[in-house]
Amino acid sequence: MISMKGVSKVYVPDKPAALCDVDCEIAQGEFVFIVGHSGSGKSTFIRLLLRELVPTSGTIIVAGQDIIAMKNRRIPYLRRNIGCVFQDFKLLPNKTSYENVAYALEVIGKSRHVIATQVPEVLRLVGLEEKTDSFPDELSGGEQQRVSIARAFVNRPPLLLADEPTGNLDPATSLGIMSLLNRINKTGTTVLVATHDREMVDSMRKRVIALENGKIIRDQSRGVYGYGD
Amino acid sequence: MATSPSYFISETWSSFRRNWVMSLVAVSIIYISLLLVGAFFLMSSVVNEMASSFESKVSVQVFLKDDAVPADVQALQASIRKMPNVKSISYVTKEQALAIFKERTKNTPQLVEQLRNNPLPASIEVALVSPREVQGVVNLIVKDPLTAKVVKTPANLGTAKDTDIKYGQNVVEALFAATGVVRVFAAGFLGLLLIVSLVLIGNTIRLAIYSRRREIGIMRLVGASNWFIRTPFLLEGVLQALIGSILAILTLVAAQAVIVPWLQGNLKFLPVNIGGVTVAQLAALLVVAGVGIGLIGSGSAVRRYLKV
Repeated sequence: MISMKGVSKVYVPDKPAALCDVDCEIAQGEFVFIVGHSGSGKSTFIRLLLRELVPTSGTIIVAGQDIIAMKNRRIPYLRRNIGCVFQDFKLLPNKTSYENVAYALEVIGKSRHVIATQVPEVLRLVGLEEKTDSFPDELSGGEQQRVSIARAFVNRPPLLLADEPTGNLDPATSLGIMSLLNRINKTGTTVLVATHDREMVDSMRKRVIALENGKIIRDQSRGVYGYGD
Repeated sequence: MATSPSYFISETWSSFRRNWVMSLVAVSIIYISLLLVGAFFLMSSVVNEMASSFESKVSVQVFLKDDAVPADVQALQASIRKMPNVKSISYVTKEQALAIFKERTKNTPQLVEQLRNNPLPASIEVALVSPREVQGVVNLIVKDPLTAKVVKTPANLGTAKDTDIKYGQNVVEALFAATGVVRVFAAGFLGLLLIVSLVLIGNTIRLAIYSRRREIGIMRLVGASNWFIRTPFLLEGVLQALIGSILAILTLVAAQAVIVPWLQGNLKFLPVNIGGVTVAQLAALLVVAGVGIGLIGSGSAVRRYLKV
């Protein structure tokens, strides 16, 4: 599903790289945690996969496509196959919950009818059936995060990326969101979660890739958050 | 699975409504600038009309001897009528000339009462196609052999004072110089005003889109193609421009309906007039300019933020 080879990302020349010579393979249907302190390169890792960023060197293959050589015109098609949950939610401020989720279907040209059946279903899945007509600034952080997840998942993408999906949430809500991601993974979707939520990682027992200063320091299946730190 | 046009229309409308502050600002700026352009356009067309009407008053008057043979006078009329640049001619008899004089001096009737007989000569009035080339017509009339028979002093054009062929020699030059300056100035100023308002409108639209650049980035990240993002923005720019320009046109038409009759009533000596064609032209100009700049402004502004 994902193959990274020798990937480095330098934001400012002569400063330490955000990611340094990263190699990794992630198979279809896997659930992977990417853990590390803030500044360890987790977000960069996610943003590279979405081609929000272009690496300084290295190659990235997603679903059989070299996303670095990809033409600008083709990028929207890549992104339609990747659902992404952002740390800062990235909801459209002038659209309601319903419309935000519907937008992901509108961009791929789904009919109004399909949208009207799928969007309420997904909003119910994330527990927001009461808030369909609320605008983002009328929602709490956890609710916005769930809208963001609903939008990422509504078109059933084969790959779901989540950058700190529980970063701003209380433990109970976090648990709900993690079990939601787990359920999504059970449907065959590859899920990649960047987090520093130790308890979550330890309780789920999934593959863990640990980053430190832009390097992969550990990659274990059925791993835990880490020792000592 | 193509996206239907109705999606873009409802998308545009809801975005216009929900960003109503920015929409209002954009519409007002478009309205005010186009109103200024339109008002100046109408004013300059009034000035132009005035200039033309002054110019069209330039005509040649050929004063006839009292003892001119009627056959010669008719022959001269026929000859003048055939000259190039002559629009029409009319013959003014001594009696008509006196009547005109009476009408002009009706505030001081003593002037006419003191006359024992009619001292005014009959004349041939020559209206011109192109008043600017009046001199050419005068030269032809002077050269015409019939002229010498019916006019006392046709020539000495240099010392124009006592000639019997009059066309306001001194005034004509100055008049054309003045109307020329007025026309050039009006056109130049209108052009400048048009450029300024187009830049202003373009900038306002860019600003409105700048305030939503984050949204454009988000749309890219959830997989929207460029045209899918761009279309509602373009339509929104067009909608703003359309509303602004239509409001400007309505205001101008209303203002014109009030102001022009008022001017005509109060400035009787000035020919105040706006042709219906001018208003239609103006409306077309405003809508085309507004919508054009709405499209170009929003298109170029969105383009910048699509690079995510």
